[in-house]
Amino acid sequence: MKVLIAEDEFISRTILEAILTKWGFEVVATDDGESALEAMKQPNAPQLALLDWMMPGMDGLAVCQELRKLKRRDTVYLILLTSKSERGDIIQGLEAGADDYIAKPYNNEELRARVHVGRRMITIQNELREWEKLQGVLEMAGAVCHELNQPLQSISGYSELLLLDINEDDTKYQTLQKIKSQVDRVAQLTRKIMKITRYQSKPYAGESRIIDIEYASQIKKENDYDG
Amino acid sequence: MADKRILVVDDEIRIRDLFSEVFSRAGYTVKTAESAEEALEIMVKTPFMVLFLDLNLPGLNGVELCRRIRKGWPMSICFAVTGYASLFELSECRDAGFEDCFTKPATLADLLAAAEHAFTKIERWKKR
Repeated sequence: MKVLIAEDEFISRTILEAILTKWGFEVVATDDGESALEAMKQPNAPQLALLDWMMPGMDGLAVCQELRKLKRRDTVYLILLTSKSERGDIIQGLEAGADDYIAKPYNNEELRARVHVGRRMITIQNELREWEKLQGVLEMAGAVCHELNQPLQSISGYSELLLLDINEDDTKYQTLQKIKSQVDRVAQLTRKIMKITRYQSKPYAGESRIIDIEYASQIKKENDYDG
Repeated sequence: MADKRILVVDDEIRIRDLFSEVFSRAGYTVKTAESAEEALEIMVKTPFMVLFLDLNLPGLNGVELCRRIRKGWPMSICFAVTGYASLFELSECRDAGFEDCFTKPATLADLLAAAEHAFTKIERWKKR
């Protein structure tokens, strides 16, 4: 999981970066509020951020406020690093949009525990989002299959009956077979849609994406999950 | 071919017409019903041994209809023909007592093979 750190002090930033990397995070390090905000606006930006409150220019508190205004569609978990520990400061930080705070000088175990809480929250939210997407897809799949398979049954059934009535040498027989084969193609598609068990999309024209029916309908293998 | 009668239950007339034609051509006598309630009324008057049921019926659904038929007429054989079935519904079909489940569009060969299989089974039971 990616984590952003915003810390103006070189030594603190380097230590933080080293610890988080050691814990398995992919660290995006910034040294002021402006570049932290910019980094959080990028595609595939980190969802977890450790922000130093006291920074020249835009401080951690302002970064929290600006980030919340962005209304990113994915979950963003913000932890303020602060030497301010008065009750009023904590309240101000949380109200600005922080999810948690860590008092400086921090203890590594506490840092690890709080960062892990953030990671857990993000993972839960991401999984929930995926689940909701899948439910939407399944409902759509159900509706499409239900609505399409009824007329398909008629077209396919009557073509089969007609094929029985027409002599194979008749040109109409060939034409009818072509119609039948295309109906079968649509039928195969609805059968595939019925097998969708996971959410997977692929790029289509321009910005739009479409469901990758081929992939989404494959039987899910165990441990086949990249969270 | 004494009692080769089939009851088709589907709320869509196109499907009822198609199945009637398919089974009639194969030599079966077909009756249709557009709801589970109508099907049960027919069963009370003249029981059918082989039935093809749509799952998504208005009112009582196909699964519930199958349960009632299996309870009232345990020797009758029911097949499900459905436009959409999730895995959960498929297992529910088994529990309800369906002999088999087909998704639409079902091929005529599948439908006829199912009917033939059902009547062969019934013949075997009768000989006991």
